[in-house]
Amino acid sequence: MIKTEELQTAVSDALKQVKKQKDVIDAEVFASWNDLITIRLNYTSGIPCNGVHEPKSIQSYGLGILATFKKGNRIETGFGSVTNDLTKEGVLEALSKAKRNRVYDPGFKTLSESVGKPSLINYHDKRVMEISGKDAVGLGWKALDGTLKALHDGGHKKTVIIGGDVTVLRERMAIKTTKGIDDFDETTSLTANITAMIENKNVKGTGWSMDTHLTTFKPEAAGREAAESAMRTIGGRKVKSGKHNVVFGNQPLTDIVSNVLIPSLDLSSVYASNTPFLGKLGHGIASDNLNIYDDGSIEGEIGSKKITCEGMPTGRTDLVTNGTLTGFLANNYYAQKFRNNLYCPIPRNGFRYSTNGRDYKNKTGIYPTNVVIEGSRETTRYNLLKQVSNGVYIGRIWYTYAINGLAMGDFTSTIIADSFLIKDGRIASPLKPNTIRINTNIKQILNNIIGITKKKRSTLVWGSREVVVAPEIAVSNVQLDNVTGFLG
Amino acid sequence: MKPRIEIIDKLKGHIFKTLSIYYKSLSECRYVDVRLGISEFKSATSENGQSKDVADDYDASFGIRVIAGEMSSWGFYGQSLGKNDLKVKRITDLIINGINSAYERAVANAKKKQEFKKSADSLTEVRLAKIKVCQDTVPADFEIDPRKVSLQKVLKTSIDVSRRMKELDLSVRYTAVGVKTGITRELFCSSEGASIDQSLPLTQGVVYVSAQKGESSPEVCYDYVGDMKGWEIIEGKNCYKLSFLDFALERTRETIELSGAEFLKTSKDEVVVVTDPHFNTLLVHEIVGHPTESDRILKMETAYAGRSWLFKNMDEDQVGERIASPLVNAFSDPTTMGYGYYNYDAEGTPGKRIDVIKDGILKTFLNGRENAAVLGHEPNGSMRATMSSMVPIVRMTNTAFGPGKKDPKKIIKEVKDGYYIVSHRIPSISESRENFRISAKKVYKIENGKLVKLYRGGGIMANSKEFLMSVDAVGNDFKMYPIPTCGKGQPMQVMKVGNGGPTLRGKARLAGC
Repeated sequence: MIKTEELQTAVSDALKQVKKQKDVIDAEVFASWNDLITIRLNYTSGIPCNGVHEPKSIQSYGLGILATFKKGNRIETGFGSVTNDLTKEGVLEALSKAKRNRVYDPGFKTLSESVGKPSLINYHDKRVMEISGKDAVGLGWKALDGTLKALHDGGHKKTVIIGGDVTVLRERMAIKTTKGIDDFDETTSLTANITAMIENKNVKGTGWSMDTHLTTFKPEAAGREAAESAMRTIGGRKVKSGKHNVVFGNQPLTDIVSNVLIPSLDLSSVYASNTPFLGKLGHGIASDNLNIYDDGSIEGEIGSKKITCEGMPTGRTDLVTNGTLTGFLANNYYAQKFRNNLYCPIPRNGFRYSTNGRDYKNKTGIYPTNVVIEGSRETTRYNLLKQVSNGVYIGRIWYTYAINGLAMGDFTSTIIADSFLIKDGRIASPLKPNTIRINTNIKQILNNIIGITKKKRSTLVWGSREVVVAPEIAVSNVQLDNVTGFLG
Repeated sequence: MKPRIEIIDKLKGHIFKTLSIYYKSLSECRYVDVRLGISEFKSATSENGQSKDVADDYDASFGIRVIAGEMSSWGFYGQSLGKNDLKVKRITDLIINGINSAYERAVANAKKKQEFKKSADSLTEVRLAKIKVCQDTVPADFEIDPRKVSLQKVLKTSIDVSRRMKELDLSVRYTAVGVKTGITRELFCSSEGASIDQSLPLTQGVVYVSAQKGESSPEVCYDYVGDMKGWEIIEGKNCYKLSFLDFALERTRETIELSGAEFLKTSKDEVVVVTDPHFNTLLVHEIVGHPTESDRILKMETAYAGRSWLFKNMDEDQVGERIASPLVNAFSDPTTMGYGYYNYDAEGTPGKRIDVIKDGILKTFLNGRENAAVLGHEPNGSMRATMSSMVPIVRMTNTAFGPGKKDPKKIIKEVKDGYYIVSHRIPSISESRENFRISAKKVYKIENGKLVKLYRGGGIMANSKEFLMSVDAVGNDFKMYPIPTCGKGQPMQVMKVGNGGPTLRGKARLAGC
């Protein structure tokens, strides 16, 4: 394990080395140590299994240098990195790679300059930083225990499947640049995402828990929630194909936001003409009830960071305000590229994520942090269901993709769990899982919003890093199509 | 000097010896394997004819699997490696530390499993099906050595191709090109005595283009050419038999043409569809490849990528049952060229061709040693990991529909009223892969055996078994294409696999905008 102080010393020493190079104009030195522990669950009552299948981890540390070089009248940029080496030799190797890899990129303007002060300080958990292999394995068994107990208490011992995982992510980073940035960050996050299934009842339920601190992290509660949700949906019915009023719960809204909406709201997508919102800045793109912003500085959320991987304090970026498109996510590269007299994006989303955290090997890309969905006129769940009157409550969807590319806005998905029919403004009978495909368009969803709840829940979906602080939203006229069920 | 893959020559004897000796000192250890990989690569990206990024670098990491404890359980540890780590003393220390970490997790896991066994009697010890223990060295096979291609050549190729794409028409708004070539060498050693040293080259070109006419939505194309070969892939020895430049220009011309085409409407009922080999590449990936992976079969992916419609429980599955028309065959073969090519999988099991569907009957599943033991099957060598530091999981290899005998032109000519579905785009599959919606780049209306109109924004949707049973013609135009971005596992591993097939004719609903 590498201490934050070692990373700080390394970037400081490295910058001194870099400044000695005559051909270097500016440089940004970034060093990080990351460790991702994943405790994966697999319990199947009718098939030999391991319960906790594979406690595993991936660890890495190193240093990366982004430098600008003068060549004639042009500025060239180059990036180089070294793994497991914070010494002077390592710095020189990274620098020589940056020199070898330099190119003239007319889109590059300048390195990042810090604006403002970070609001999050000392927000990580030292106990998580020091967690033992045994304790990490124990968290996985806690989640399994919570699920099994709830299912057994409900009388379900056969055809039970429990899957999902508990993850422990530990990140340390330091950055120093010739533009005056000199900072560090330490983050810890814990997640439990559990799925419970009772196959002979054809039901599946999900539960999740996220935290930055061990004392408040409850993997067993996530397990219990998954089991209870599965049991609640026994006896599901189908609905007919056609247009329905629906309520998207926290998970489906997050799935749509993470896979379709947010990728369409970053400046790299605008540059590549790969968004349905091209030329729509300042225009209405949604119901005036809808507000969306990204905020990496919310205390307690696992998407939060003190600073970006470019050294910029995290903060709020408004994307949609009262239905009007007001901004896009940006890193320094794209913020500089798009800056003009009318639009001045602030680069609050430049991160170097890879599988196990803030990766010194990567240049920055654009990544959301905590995406908050709010209504201008928020309501209760009771009133939301009243507004819908008759329709479908969708609790979990799967494989949500912009089927014809992001630019078209069309997307499709299947409803796999936690869902119900709504009758006369109340939750009625459960919906049979795996029997409905959603076929719709993101522009239509945004414009057909009937209502948004005040109550929200922080939610994360498979394969995404960002947290969506998601309400439940009601939408009219969503196309639902019948499909065959499991072995149907 | 960056480390070269030849460094494994110096390290492999020490790693094998370290593992063999150290493993015996751990009282509750049943099995250990180590994978250590190093890759050398050059890459470049360009946008609109301007350079964006280049890299001439290496990547190294190792991963350790341990089975230990009274009630045998798994533990895994993986980490990245730097230049200084690739020395005998240092790598020995790191591997011992890694074994200790994985062992600690496995023993802790085994104790908990024992405790829980009272209330969950399906919990069982980890068993691995027996395989032939191999010691082998497999060199990289290529015509043009990726390591001898200069970085300037890689960069120039990406700049030239993206510039030529951009210059093709005023409607082209944006082009991006990525080119990568390199070799990965991975050492696999196990406590059973395996020592396999395998090198695989990889060369890939990726294109992205968006074109827009008037106020209509931009048409976007993302496509790739590649194989486990050298730079000859970029020069034209690939599945398209086109140079990378010609491939990129062909994709650009298609995108320009499509940007002015009418959008396809969703059909209410099933129609006759002829699907081309490129479209069937993604179709076989989603409705045959994934549902025959044995981790899905055993419901281990329920929380992530889903279960399989081919397996209900240990007493009831579809093996030996008809799941497709008698004309449909499918196989999985890591010994043929494609992105799923290898001699040995990540557990040291020799790769081999297996029939997945024979004359419409489901024959078997893709597996690794643990799943093979649970199912009572013979291991067929289908375990892979994206990097050595990640845990291996069951992956399809080169998995494809088998060829038929019919001329594809005749398959279209026989259609009075139908649609020709050309080139895959994006899939969405239901939980157990029993239903799919897959979009195509192009859809043509067929009238009286002729292609009469081009549509954009379309594809097909169907229940998997119903589609497979409806196939009434299979072409003789078999092709294998690369799929470079197959996501699976937690944490997500993005894997390269090969998929393909011939032209097929069946029935499905049209899915439009």
